[in-house]
Formats: sequence, structure tokens, C-alpha cells
Amino acid sequence: MKTLLLSSISLLLSTGIAFAQTTVQSCNRTVTFEAPPERAVSNDVNLTEMMLVLGLADRMVGYTGISGWNKLDEEMRAGVEALPELSAQYPSKEVLIGADADFFFAGWNYGMRVGGEVTPETLAPFGIEVYELTESCTHIMEKDKASIEDMYNDLLNLGRIFGVEDRATALVEGYRAELAAFASTLEPSDPLRVFVYDSGEDAPFTAGRYAMPTALIEAAGGTNIMDDFERSWATVTWEEVVERNPEVIVIVNYGEVTAEQKRDFMMSNPAFAGLDAVRNDRFVTLEYVEATPGPRNIEAIRTLADAFRPITQ
Amino acid sequence: MRGTVPLLLIGVASLVISLSIAISVGAVPVPTATVWGVLINKLSPDIVEQTWSAGREAIVWDIRFPRALLAMMVGAGLAMVGASLQAVTRNPLADPHLLGISSGGAFGAILALLHTGLFLGLLTVPLLAFLGALGATAIVLGVSRIADATSADRLVLAGVAVSFIIMAAANVLIFLGDPRATHTVVFWMLGGLGLAQWDQLVFPLVILLACGVWLFSQAAALNAMTIGDETASTLGIPVARFRLIVFVVGALITGVMVAFSGIIGFVGLMVPHIVRMIVGGDYARVLPASALVGAIFLLWADIAARTVMRPEDMPIGIVTGLVGGVFFVWLLARRGAR
Repeated sequence: MKTLLLSSISLLLSTGIAFAQTTVQSCNRTVTFEAPPERAVSNDVNLTEMMLVLGLADRMVGYTGISGWNKLDEEMRAGVEALPELSAQYPSKEVLIGADADFFFAGWNYGMRVGGEVTPETLAPFGIEVYELTESCTHIMEKDKASIEDMYNDLLNLGRIFGVEDRATALVEGYRAELAAFASTLEPSDPLRVFVYDSGEDAPFTAGRYAMPTALIEAAGGTNIMDDFERSWATVTWEEVVERNPEVIVIVNYGEVTAEQKRDFMMSNPAFAGLDAVRNDRFVTLEYVEATPGPRNIEAIRTLADAFRPITQ
Repeated sequence: MRGTVPLLLIGVASLVISLSIAISVGAVPVPTATVWGVLINKLSPDIVEQTWSAGREAIVWDIRFPRALLAMMVGAGLAMVGASLQAVTRNPLADPHLLGISSGGAFGAILALLHTGLFLGLLTVPLLAFLGALGATAIVLGVSRIADATSADRLVLAGVAVSFIIMAAANVLIFLGDPRATHTVVFWMLGGLGLAQWDQLVFPLVILLACGVWLFSQAAALNAMTIGDETASTLGIPVARFRLIVFVVGALITGVMVAFSGIIGFVGLMVPHIVRMIVGGDYARVLPASALVGAIFLLWADIAARTVMRPEDMPIGIVTGLVGGVFFVWLLARRGAR
């Protein structure tokens, strides 16, 4: 008992002298970093882009969970050419340990599953710290409605973790200024009713209250018709969509079924013929990287706002 | 045939009442008056004053009505297939799901959704599901031939074995697929009626009518098969060939049903048993009664699926699985007690 006390005191002293600790909030955990990670791994395309936009490629040993689902685009490829993809899909514990990773940037359903093999708890014994995507916290705790602040929060936290706070702050301030300037050009009007169509034919998979598109749509001057749906990405019924009659439909583009095929499905089903969005053929496509939290959200808001502009006849 | 007419009347009345309830309940409640108003106006415009929104009309006419009709057709189809297979295999556990036919259909659908893309447009998924169901039947028949499984019990065993292999392969496809898209796969694995559309109902309808009429015409042969191969043989039925044809017809019905509804298990297992308790063992009565009871059962299973977890739909296979499992246990206990 005495030795334990002594050793913990000496540990505290030594770390206190060596580094300024950094503590960040990751979902419901407080994570303490004794030093900035040197061998980071990020999962999925949107999270990896957050690392890249902060200039952290040289602190990474690889990325996971992108090419298995054909999500790597040209812009992205340019930033990660030097890095190996450690796993085409969700990584296993062995993959991360085998890469000598000391940090994993992932989220719930973005590289980790609740109760799965790879979680902050299962990685902790191997010295791998985890920072969780803020949008995904809704899967393990109570959370406020999705907001663009969630994305800013992730960038600022990554900035603290890696000791590049200035860069992160500058980026976020830039985004804020860009959006504020942009918002002032929007004509004030009643928000359009917008439906996010991710996939599914028997029942649509869509973005609810806690998923990023709800925030993007609001920033662009619309409302997500499912923003009272207390879920993140989830399935609703077509009946609910028909009842709420969206004026614009946002298609999330990724995977085997193309955006054009998703649009065709909605245009050809007689049940949707009466929807304002279908009658006026008002569809807009967001790529997966744009619709999930990441630096391309800003461009996504512009794309949405363009699509929401009043139809001139 | 004493008592047939009142039973038939009760059955048809139950069907109409069930249909009416099925269309009025759901994520968005619709009053029964509106349901009938929309239906009457669709048959002959402007008889009833339209007091409902265009959205409600779309929900009743374009979403729920085709869905309820599909429920009836799938229920009737699977129950008839179950009854027929139980006769030719003389195995009370014969069911299109247990024989691997449904699994084959799900495999085809998952392949299209997660890996090949919709290369044939919107018909890709139902088409591959149908081909998968037929393929699975061919494999089951092939395996039973290799294993020399001429006996009825071994045929069912071959079906279960093939079903396991196909499900393993389907799980590989799901594992390799995009996790964001795997939610669409739940539909094919656990069944649902959300794909119902007016212009596609013709496919299950035509197959159901054609195969149903043929099965009804074979009632006498099916009765003979339930007694035994030798009896059937002495009555001039080419036993092996007849069994094969019933299998192919069953695969045809199941394949088309799976293509629009995913895997819905235990309807084919359960309904014929209940029906035989009411109308006896004569297939001239078992088949039509199975169709009727199957239709009513699946309408109610879908009502449960759409209301239990409102506003989300629960996969209907969960409902039939639960009811079917309990029924299975009851069946076992009843046999044990005897």
C-alpha cells in the first residue's frame, strides 16, 4: 500500500514535470493525454479528413474503414497517399495493436460498435487512447440535437490532443466567419421541409434529430422533417414521409445503389407522386463525406442552400 | 361437407374485417370512414365527398392497400406451400423457410443490394431474390439426390442443411457490405411488406392463382401422398415425379413471395396445422382453408408489426417467428401428452 502510494506520487510528479497534460471530453469520458499521440489511426473518410485538415498526416500510421465501401475520392486520396490502409473495413483490435497505434479516432458506428471488440475500454489496456466522434455520442449517452458545433468540437478537441490548438481554432473561426457571411446572403423565408433519403426501399433510412444533416439543413435555411425523431441515422416509415410532405429531398450518395437510382425510385412510386419535392423534381445529392461530420460540411451547407433557393419560373 | 358454408362465410367476413383494420392502423392513424371513402372513390370517383388530404389518400391507396393485399397473398401462398409440402414429405415440419427456399431468396436480394448494384434497375432485387429461391430449391433437390435421400425425412434434413450453408454465405455478404447499408438487409432476413406497390402485385397474384389452381386440382393426389408412397403408387400416382413437381411449384410460389416480402417464416408450418384441426385432413378443404387462414394471419401479423413499435415498423418475420416458436412448443407439448 505504501509503495503504491509512493509510486503514484512519483508518477504524478514525473508527468507533471515532463509535459503539460491535456484533458478532453470524449462523449461521457474524460480522456487525459500525457503527450500528443505520435501513431494515430482514424476510421472512415470523414474522420480521416478532420485529421488531414489539421495537418496531422505525419502523426498517423494509417487509416481504416474507407476503401472497403468505395468511399475514397480523389481529393481524399491526395492527402493519404503516404499512409497505408490498415483495414479496408472496421479494424479489429489486432490491426490497431499490430500497427503500434497509440490513438484511435473513431465513433460509434464509425469504426466501433457498442459492445463490440473495439471500444475505448478494450483498447485501453494496450495503451491506445480513443477519441469519439461527437455526433456518434448519441449511441451511448444523452445528447443535444445535432449541430455544426459538434463538428467544431471535434476539430478543437483534436487540436488540443495533438497540440495544434492554434490551427484548429483558426480553422473553426474561419468556418464560423464563412457561414456567418454566407447566412447573411440568405433571403429570410419560411424554412423548407426537407427529407433526407439515405437508402432503403421497403422503409427509408434517414437522418433523425441527432444526425449531422439535421444541422446542415438548418444552417442552409430548411428543417429536417424528421428532426423530432429521437434517433441518429435510423429507419422511419414511408407513411411518415408522405404525411409530412417534404419540399426538397436530399439524397446521400454512397454504396452500390446510385443517387440517380434512389431518385428514380422516389419519382416512380405512385405513393410519392403527391409530394411537393417529387412534383417539382427538387432533389439534391450530398456525398457521404459531405453528409457526415467533417470539414466538407461547410461546402454541403452551400450546396443545400443553393437547392433551397426559391424556384424561379 | 356439412358446415362448410358457415365456416366459409365466417372466414371471408374475418378477412374483410381484418383488411379494413389493417388499412386504418399504422404510423399515421386513419379513420375507418376515410379508408372506405378512399376505396369507394377509387372504384367510382366522387360518390363520397372527399374530406381527407391528398397525403392521407396516398397513404391509404398507394401504401397500405397494396401492402395489405400483398400480406394476404404472401400469407395464402406460404400456407398453401406449407400444406402441400407437408403432404408430399409426410413431415409435419415441412415449411418453405425450413427447407432453405426462403434463405436462397434472401441471399439473392442481399447480393444485389450490397454488392452488384442495381444493374437491371429497380427490378434487380426482386429478380435476384426469385432466382436465389429457385437456385436453393435446385440445390436441395440435388443434395437429396446425392445423399440418396428418397425418404421424406431426409429431404427435410437436406433442406435444413442447405439452408444453413446459404445463410452462412449470406452472412459473409452482409459482413463484407457497407454497415450503413446493412439496415436494408434486415428486410430480407426478417421479412416485411413495405415493398408493396400496385404495379408489382400482378407478379405474386398470377403465380398464386396459377399454382393455387393446380394444387387444388391435385387435392386427391395430395390426400393419397399423406397416407404413404405405396398407397399413392397403387392409386396410380408417379410418386417421385409428383413430389418433385410439388417442390418446384412450391419454390415458384415461395420465390415470388420472398422477392416482395423477404423471409417470413413459420406461416407455412403453423397455418396448415391449425386448419386441419378445424376442417379435417381432406386436402380439398385443407388447401383453400389454409389460403384463407394464412391471409388473415399475415394481415394481423403485419398489423402487429406496424403498431407494436410505432412509428417504426418491426420486421414481420419477428412476429411470425415469435408466434410460430410458441406454436411449435405447443405442438411438441401436445404430442408429448398423447
